[in-house]
Amino acid sequence: MEYMPEFSVVRPATVAEAVAMRAADPEARFVAGGTDLVPNIRRGIVAPAKVIDLNGLEEIRKIESVDGGLRIGAAVTLAELIEDGRLRADYTGIVEAAGAVAATSHRQVGTVGGNLCLDTRCLFYNQSEWWRRSNDYCLKSRGDVCHVAPKGDHCFAAFSGDLAPALMVLGAAAEIASPSGGRIIPLTGMYQDDGLAYLLLGADEMLVAVRVPAPADGFKTGYAKSRVRGAIDFPLAGVAVGLRRDADAVVDLSVALTGTNSMPLMIEGTDALTGAPPDDAMLARLDGLVRDRIQPMSSTFSPPGYRRRVVAKLTRSLIRRLYREG
Amino acid sequence: MSEDPAMPASARLVGAHVPLIDGVEKVSGRAEYTADLAHRDALVGRIFRSPYSHAKITRLDVTDALALPGVAAIVTGEDCDVPFGVLPIAQNEYPLARDRVRYRGEPVAAVAAIDETVAEAALRLIRMEVEELPAYYDPEKARMPGAVELHADRPGNLERDVHHEFGDVEAGFAAADIVLEKVYDCAEVTHVQMEPDVSLAEYDAERDRLTLHTCTQVPYYVHLRVAQCLGMDTSRVRVVKPYVGGGFGHRSETLNFEIIACILARAARAKVRLKLSREETFVTHRGRPATRIKLKIGMIKDGRMTACACETLQAGGAYGGYGIVTILYSGALLNAIYDIPAVKFDGYRVYTNTPPCGAMRGHGTVNVRFAFESLLDQMADELGLDPFEVRRRNLLEAPVRTINDMMVESYGLPQCLDWVEEASGWKARRGNLPKGKGLGLACSHYVSGAAKPVHWTGEPHAVVNLKLDFDGGVTILTGTADIGQGSSTVLAQIVGEVLGLDLDRVSVVANDSRITPKDNGSYSSRVTFMVGNAAIEAAEKLKGILAEAAARKLDAKAEDIECLGEIYRVQGGQDPGLPFQEVVDEALAESGTITVKGTFTVPRSHQGGRYRGAGVGPSMAYSYAAVATEVTVDEDTGRVTVDKVWVAHDCGFAINRLACEGQIQGAVWMGLGQALSEETRYHKGLPLGPNMFDYRVPTIVESPDIEVKIVESIDPNGPFGAKEASEGALAAVIPALANAVADAIGLRMDETPVTPDRVIDAILRKERGRGRKRSAA
Amino acid sequence: MAKSILSLVLNGRRRDDAVADNMLLIDYLREVAGLTGTKMGCDGGECGACTVLVDDRPRLSCISLAYTVAGRRVETIEGARRGGRISRLQRAFHEKLGSQCGYCTPGMIMASEGLLRRNPTPSDDEIRQGLSGNICRCTGYVKIIESVLSAADGSVP
Repeated sequence: MEYMPEFSVVRPATVAEAVAMRAADPEARFVAGGTDLVPNIRRGIVAPAKVIDLNGLEEIRKIESVDGGLRIGAAVTLAELIEDGRLRADYTGIVEAAGAVAATSHRQVGTVGGNLCLDTRCLFYNQSEWWRRSNDYCLKSRGDVCHVAPKGDHCFAAFSGDLAPALMVLGAAAEIASPSGGRIIPLTGMYQDDGLAYLLLGADEMLVAVRVPAPADGFKTGYAKSRVRGAIDFPLAGVAVGLRRDADAVVDLSVALTGTNSMPLMIEGTDALTGAPPDDAMLARLDGLVRDRIQPMSSTFSPPGYRRRVVAKLTRSLIRRLYREG
Repeated sequence: MSEDPAMPASARLVGAHVPLIDGVEKVSGRAEYTADLAHRDALVGRIFRSPYSHAKITRLDVTDALALPGVAAIVTGEDCDVPFGVLPIAQNEYPLARDRVRYRGEPVAAVAAIDETVAEAALRLIRMEVEELPAYYDPEKARMPGAVELHADRPGNLERDVHHEFGDVEAGFAAADIVLEKVYDCAEVTHVQMEPDVSLAEYDAERDRLTLHTCTQVPYYVHLRVAQCLGMDTSRVRVVKPYVGGGFGHRSETLNFEIIACILARAARAKVRLKLSREETFVTHRGRPATRIKLKIGMIKDGRMTACACETLQAGGAYGGYGIVTILYSGALLNAIYDIPAVKFDGYRVYTNTPPCGAMRGHGTVNVRFAFESLLDQMADELGLDPFEVRRRNLLEAPVRTINDMMVESYGLPQCLDWVEEASGWKARRGNLPKGKGLGLACSHYVSGAAKPVHWTGEPHAVVNLKLDFDGGVTILTGTADIGQGSSTVLAQIVGEVLGLDLDRVSVVANDSRITPKDNGSYSSRVTFMVGNAAIEAAEKLKGILAEAAARKLDAKAEDIECLGEIYRVQGGQDPGLPFQEVVDEALAESGTITVKGTFTVPRSHQGGRYRGAGVGPSMAYSYAAVATEVTVDEDTGRVTVDKVWVAHDCGFAINRLACEGQIQGAVWMGLGQALSEETRYHKGLPLGPNMFDYRVPTIVESPDIEVKIVESIDPNGPFGAKEASEGALAAVIPALANAVADAIGLRMDETPVTPDRVIDAILRKERGRGRKRSAA
Repeated sequence: MAKSILSLVLNGRRRDDAVADNMLLIDYLREVAGLTGTKMGCDGGECGACTVLVDDRPRLSCISLAYTVAGRRVETIEGARRGGRISRLQRAFHEKLGSQCGYCTPGMIMASEGLLRRNPTPSDDEIRQGLSGNICRCTGYVKIIESVLSAADGSVP
């Protein structure tokens, strides 16, 4: 048997029950596929006394067509996402991002909500209890120092979900439930750049769905990921681009990133770059916008300088690809 | 397969594609590995590991832990004061640290408890107080004057320095038209065999006997060390090796957890199952050390080498292990692949406060071969020579005794080169590939069993017993550890072949010290060669007995009897002959159950020279390999994609063609892992990636097709001419990849692994116009 | 410790067992059901050795909690046999040497079985994607791909 800390599981049947349970016990953890939480429990990183299992919530396990766009339940698996005909037709970037997550077997149970709320990752955090204790723990958990930036008081663990940027470039919104009702906010508003508290969700709140508006005609999306191996790896950096081409110009452009900061980043100011083809001048200006926002740190095995460089290269080649296809 | 001209005319079983005789068990989930053995009655063992890199233990208090209900025993360094180590001359490790810890993760205490939860709780109650000492992770720092010694008898933290010079190196460099010297760095890598470490130890307090089931490549060494550390007579210890989920060298020495399981079992007077996590398996390590190589080669214009000087520094980790052998191999195997008139080697194996390194597939040779073949390629480039040409200019002519006293009697490297050149389309394609694509070549070699055993007992190097009984079944009794490489299958093929029997009639019983003869184990690619030869001798003896029995029945002379397809008949005769069972009945009527024994010993002539350190490197036969890789380099991301690998491997004779192909592919692929993505780095002595996310074993997605050509040079001493097939090709693929990258983008990667960030760094260095390290003659 | 009754169909047989909430599926299979063919290779979701099928889909049993398969059909390597013999896929892994040490093999075969159920004639690339989460340290994967291809095209009986 593997050593597992003791915990009990509660199985709500409705979203209302789930958030009520969380409100009653803010330390409890939500679990759906378990691909993030269970390894962290096995490593001793987290030891919740109670786990709220979301697999019984049929209402958030489906993809619905709403107002011409889609409402994707948080408990929809990544495999279901990839296999959905509507997504394959019109939301290529989402399918590419979902297909880049881990490996086939993880995607069978890993969910949209799980990937969007994926705990931030760091070499000094995703280690065993023995390892972290030997290293005096870290700012993210039980310690006082961030080993990535020992002089600061900030946790730099990297947000490593692939899906968030692909949804952001489509202008997705997060549907959040709580005992007091709920709210719908832009997905970008669900995050902040703090490895310790990267989600702007209240203790009694739960992500229940993402709403993705229908892309404008000709709006192409794609996702590119930097990783050393062909599968399994989390992104060293990931970029999603949404682009519309008209004749010889980019007329709409959205760029979002993952893996570089403690939150997925929507790059602002890309509107100003439209009206021209993706030539060197345009891409250089985009590089500048990206450079100003990203802050990769030594939280991964690959060095930050590399991640900084590769994100620019990935962005350029993805834009060129979508422009060609457009 | 009989159309193959290299095959003995009568061959049926050897030389064929034979699926593993234990393959059905493996594909059906019935193969029982150590963790699968019955353990409902076993206590759970857990190890308390040092959180410090280097410290004196001032207090270790297990009182609270021991008082916890459900804890059966806690053992510490107090429970064993006998050091162990695979080399009798370098035993400086205790199963549980005494007085001092030397790396983070070193076992300090161990708990046996009724379940995982209690064991975990007990670990958290153990109190360790220490006085910390300076710790060294970099071998250069460990060697600095004034550095605290990890081991009192090793000044300067130098585990072993080697200084060998054969031929006149200075004159060789003076005679060269071009001399290049470069420094290469290889990151530490480790085995990551799929089965995490685990032992099941049962102590019988009534009889003072101990039974250990463990995942080892060397049950005999484990037996010796367990008896030694527990102070038990070896006859009271029984070691059984169940199915083992890979080894690659990790399990080629007795490991601390195996002894700890036994100490715990005896202390608890019970059965204890000690299962390590993947992280603990990483910390147990014994892999290939981080290595810095300064290499200098002299060459005349036509490509012939005049001299080679190599300085190698290895960060060996905190204990001896195989370290001395590793550093000696690094030097010795500069030879026996090419004809180099003068070779100088200066090796330094240094203790560092990291988990001990050890033997890993291609032991000792791999990193040096990366440097050598990279530099050779660069020099060929500078002289305007084709990479194949420069290697052909330096071929050996077998048989030959090398300048460092190693005997090469079969040498298929020329044929390997020919095939790889042809198959890769080298002549037409190299230089004509699209931008970012390149082809690279390299060669390598390896021993077929270390000629000198680790223990100088005077015994034969291999023993095989055969038993033939009333049922007509032939049972091979062997101590050889099949760890997935297929040794049991090969032995069955050999015995069946000699006796003219179907494979189904032969079964193998392996690795139970109660039953099977001692074997040194599965390492240094010794098994097919040594145990195979012993198996031939045993089978020939049995054949003689059966031939005599058949001769009696057929009224013929024993030497005229042949057996084919399980029928014994007079050679050339027309009679229908005797079915095997009738011959068996006749033979048993004389003597009852028949047991015979075959042995093998490497003759003194092949055991190497008489200088200090000459015992490592000599083998009775060497395998050879040539590898070409085709790569695509993405200069934006630095990512290297291997499009295809062609490998030709001279294994003498492929007793099992299927298994040889599988071994060669596996070796090449493991080399690709080291070449592309695998590395262990430490943060203050803690491994940064002790898991299979951050230690990047290649996935199936980016792993290329590997096309194999088996070259058969028919070694005069090998069983049916066979040599090793599992290690030799590994080393070549790493420089072949680096050379292909150089062909693709004009940059020489002198550091492994060639990760995307290193490629980008190299590109940026070039863009900034920095020159490369170089000294011309 | 909270427990619940886990009812499932395991290798074609209905079972009911009391399992603790925190029990991993792999521990249920190995320790409760006694099916040790499924292997643990890592500290959680890194290697694929523990792959089983849940309702025909591959599942990493070392990071799945046992209770989550309640009401499901679970298949392990022990259930892969067909008609008292090893299946065509198993035979392919045996005869093509898709298995060396054998430790990754149960997970590799179950992942391949799941793939072939979704896609009976996968291409080389589809096999690579289907087995992308399964690490093998022995074979270099070449013969694993050959094994799956030959099982799919029926060249292994």
